[in-house]
Amino acid sequence: MQNEFVISRVLNAKQNNVWKAWTEREKLMQWFGPKGVTIPVATMDFRPGGVFHYCMRMPDDSEMWGKWTYREIEPPNKLVLISSFSDAQGGITRHPLAADWPLETLSTTTFVAQGDKTLLTINWSPWNATEAEIRKFSESHAGMEQGWGGTFEQLTAWLAAN
Amino acid sequence: MSSDQLSSTFAALADPTRRAILARLALGEASVAELAQPFSISPPAVTKHLKVLQRAGLITQGRQAQWRPCKLEAAPLQEASDFISQYRQFWEQSLDRLEAYLKVVQAEPDKKSSGKTREKKNAK
Repeated sequence: MQNEFVISRVLNAKQNNVWKAWTEREKLMQWFGPKGVTIPVATMDFRPGGVFHYCMRMPDDSEMWGKWTYREIEPPNKLVLISSFSDAQGGITRHPLAADWPLETLSTTTFVAQGDKTLLTINWSPWNATEAEIRKFSESHAGMEQGWGGTFEQLTAWLAAN
Repeated sequence: MSSDQLSSTFAALADPTRRAILARLALGEASVAELAQPFSISPPAVTKHLKVLQRAGLITQGRQAQWRPCKLEAAPLQEASDFISQYRQFWEQSLDRLEAYLKVVQAEPDKKSSGKTREKKNAK
């Protein structure tokens, strides 16, 4: 099983604009989070060691806090940060549904210019995690998606039909 | 939605034979004998795996005396599936929104060059 989650996409925008969308508070608040989610509150101290602390409001009006601590900032190419669940005060909290989820995860985002487009890649892995936490992380997506030889697809197809 | 339920689901899913059993049941109900067929293991060994799946709530077994068919149970599987796909979904949907946002931003410089009186946004 893999311990790393990777997602990448070519965005139809210049590298500098993609970088800004990730690193300026007002811009980040506009798009970060899945469909139907809003970021009503966020503070950003954009420097190595600084923190982005945000509240996510879910479609059902429940709220969830999260926190990024920046480690490496290499404009406009690379952003490395530690990500965790949080509370309103900025403390680190456990995953609400999985007590053995890593408290902290390391996220490396790279921005590669491709003419007027940008290849964005997010690599995500457990940080300072115990063995059990690493197992939980890897069984959650990478393992199921890539290592289970189609079982996951079959089961999700069945779920969709039932 | 307790984390204990999720943990027992994942523990049950961790074994390749059990995953294969679930994949078979996704095609329809099956008896223990039918489930044992594709594997080079004995029916008692299959029964053992079925017990684990049953305890995790992933399957149930019918009560008809002769043919006690096993079937999948949707709720815990759905919960596990949601948990598994939540981060990819999170990022896929965030990136969809980012694309839409960037489209608007990309259009802005044109507006500015054509209208000089327009104030520069984001003075910060």
